[in-house]
Amino acid sequence: MTNHPVHPVDERPCASYTLRVNGFERPVTDAWIGESLLYVLRERLGLAGAKNGCEQGECGACSVQVDGQLVAGCLVPAALAADSEISTVEGLSAGGAASDVQQALADSGAVQCGYCTPGMAMAVHDLLQRNHRPSEVEARQALCGNLCRCTGYRSALAAVQTVADARSAALLEAEEAAAEGVGEAAEPAAADASAQGRQAPVQAPAPAEPEVPDLPVYQDAWTETAAAGEVPVFGNDDSGWIVAQPFEAPQAFDTPQPFEAPQPFDTPQPFEAPQAFDQPQAYEAAQGFEAAQHFEGTRMPGPAHPAQPAGGYEPSPTAVGTGVGVGVIPPQGYPGYEATAYGPGTVYASGATYEPTPAHGTSAPGAPFEGTPAHGTPYEPTPAHGTPYGTPAQGTPYPGYPDQQYAGTPYEGAGYEGTPYDRASYDGVGYDGTVYEPAPAAPYDATPAHGLRLPEDDHA
Amino acid sequence: MLPTSLDEAVEALAASPAAVPVAGGTDLMEAVNAGRLRPAALIGLGRITELRGWRYEDGGTAVLGAGLTLARMDRPDFAALIPALADAARTAGPPQTRNVGTLGGNIATAAPAGDTLPVLAALEASVTLARPGVTREVPVSHLLTGLDPMRPGELLTWVRVPLLNAPQVFLKATGRSGPSRATASVALVLDPARRAVRCAVGAVAPVPLRPLEAEAWVAGCIDWDARGEEGVPAIDPAAAAAFGEYVASACVPDGYGGDAASGLPAEGPTAEALRLRRTVAVLARRALGRALK
Ligand SMILES: Cc1cc2nc3c(=O)[nH]c(=O)nc-3n(C[C@H](O)[C@H](O)[C@H](O)COP(=O)(O)OP(=O)(O)OC[C@H]3O[C@@H](n4cnc5c(N)ncnc54)[C@H](O)[C@@H]3O)c2cc1C
Ligand code: FES
Ligand code: FES
Repeated sequence: MTNHPVHPVDERPCASYTLRVNGFERPVTDAWIGESLLYVLRERLGLAGAKNGCEQGECGACSVQVDGQLVAGCLVPAALAADSEISTVEGLSAGGAASDVQQALADSGAVQCGYCTPGMAMAVHDLLQRNHRPSEVEARQALCGNLCRCTGYRSALAAVQTVADARSAALLEAEEAAAEGVGEAAEPAAADASAQGRQAPVQAPAPAEPEVPDLPVYQDAWTETAAAGEVPVFGNDDSGWIVAQPFEAPQAFDTPQPFEAPQPFDTPQPFEAPQAFDQPQAYEAAQGFEAAQHFEGTRMPGPAHPAQPAGGYEPSPTAVGTGVGVGVIPPQGYPGYEATAYGPGTVYASGATYEPTPAHGTSAPGAPFEGTPAHGTPYEPTPAHGTPYGTPAQGTPYPGYPDQQYAGTPYEGAGYEGTPYDRASYDGVGYDGTVYEPAPAAPYDATPAHGLRLPEDDHA
Repeated sequence: MLPTSLDEAVEALAASPAAVPVAGGTDLMEAVNAGRLRPAALIGLGRITELRGWRYEDGGTAVLGAGLTLARMDRPDFAALIPALADAARTAGPPQTRNVGTLGGNIATAAPAGDTLPVLAALEASVTLARPGVTREVPVSHLLTGLDPMRPGELLTWVRVPLLNAPQVFLKATGRSGPSRATASVALVLDPARRAVRCAVGAVAPVPLRPLEAEAWVAGCIDWDARGEEGVPAIDPAAAAAFGEYVASACVPDGYGGDAASGLPAEGPTAEALRLRRTVAVLARRALGRALK
């Protein structure tokens, strides 16, 4: 159908041109015309921020802006971008400091291996340029072309909200200051800078430490509004929340320590320089997020914990970027966090050691200690985005297990042998005979794009 | 090279017939990166502003530029004009590719899962192909089915779409919830002036398919006068469901997915055919339901 030539005249036609990257003219000489912008940026111009994940437009790791449009750098013929304005992730960070978007991504724990991060940062930056107050759906749609295989998307979505909040707070403050007629030139500059995606200058309220006004940014259906200082664990009142006591709830809090070493940050690019991470603040926020993730993943129905008294600790005022995903992250640095002996390899009374549960709730619900992929136990991967198939997805109550199975749950017991899950699975005691009916075979049409189900889908 | 006008581009293509026109590059660079294509020269169409918009023509026709991006087609002004095309553009890939991918590129690529194609087929659109001094008008169906293919050195310039001012729907089934190519798609448009329903099924065959008998049958089942009235169903739900089945069995053959080479006598439809039919039936039923709501 396409009218491509069959026999090109020249096997390797080349061209020389000049690219305008982040405001600088960068000459490129004798480059093959089939080279992508991604390739030229990385291999010829030494700008290794954009990553090559697939070269097929699928992953978004190579996202850059060309004439203000977010595009996949791997799909732009570099020779044809010659008189365009190109911005890359290197241009986000002025003078080596991470931009507010990058900082928020780091703080919210959206960075594990970091491969997707430059593209994600560009996508978030692009979204917030066009839309200062994106809704969750808008944010999801804007990020849907950026694949992250480590972290999932919730913390990135939270970062979007954090930046949007911080920028509008900064803007508001700047406007108020201007209205009072105090500053002449400084405030507009501050507002401008924050709109540009840079850290606002010092005279503006620093977006680095906003007061994180309203909390849960993105909630799952099962959560209810939680105030700062609450940890999302499954309560005994089915509300989805109880107030956590500092690390009485043990097993989940074993972070895989993604931030241990700054290894993904290999190049001296501004964002990838580890400076964003060697602040203990960023690290702890990330750790807190991991912990919350684990809770989510291992949440069990029924009275798992005795309800904890409220007000066990004060939310830390510096909890930047902790308004993550599941609601709120336990404030960092609360008593006994470091001291708790629940790290990897902790030996429990039964002699068993505990392995980290993989993040993202991939373990079978109700099986915090076993059946995790780490052990090689077969498990059913949950379908993405809560697709209503047969597998009980995260958050689905498990009708198969009568409540009393969970009385005296693993949190109190010493060993693993007696966990209700074992019995339930292996000798059938625990099953009340409920059989999971797989949803009728409607493999594709059940989920409209982006996992959003429209009401009329059910009765068209 | 980057011509800035249509004439310039047409001349350039005629001057170097080996050159490849590049609109958004999203399909082209995929092929280049994968080593399937080594272009001799590139002619960028991105600077031809006249091709990036649309105009109206007498007789209720919109003339869309081949350089209209998928992202542009998703915007409300365009969606009010040709809703099904806007819906198709919205689901065609991630934002990064929709920002630059174009209508013309989608048609020229003519991928089985091209999302604008069933819509254009249902709308009975036609395209203009240009060479220096010559243009010709080809129905999209002829272009896609190879009855009248694009010739070397030709540039796709305009897409003529009748404006029907009636509900139209595009629905797409995909393998995952994020952006991805269709496993099946259905475009359905109402033509109240002719009391007709036009439907095309995409992605189940190399080209979009029109279930003409099912269209004619269902048009007779619709209470055209009650359409749009509050609380009056314009069609019996059972008829809508039957329409879905009708479309599905018309477009998905019994042997779908089977091994044609092995030559085994097929005993009824294959499992793949049944699954795909179910998907198509649901899409068609829903599309009809939404169009008549
Ligand atoms: C990750 C990804 C996901 C995608 N998902 C979808 C999807 O869900 N649905 C879908 O339909 N498509 C999808 N696509 C395909 C692609 O985005 C679309 O087909 C797009 O419309 C192509 O337009 P383009 O302008 O980028 O074409 P280009 O890549 O520029 O061109 C494609 C071909 O058409 C020729 N051509 C382009 N314009 C003209 C013209 N005016 N005259 C003559 N020849 C021309 C070129 O020479 C080339 O051979 C996807 C692509 C990617 C990379
Ligand atoms: S490398 Fe460009 S999208 Fe994956
Ligand atoms: S891919 Fe997103 S952090 Fe590794």
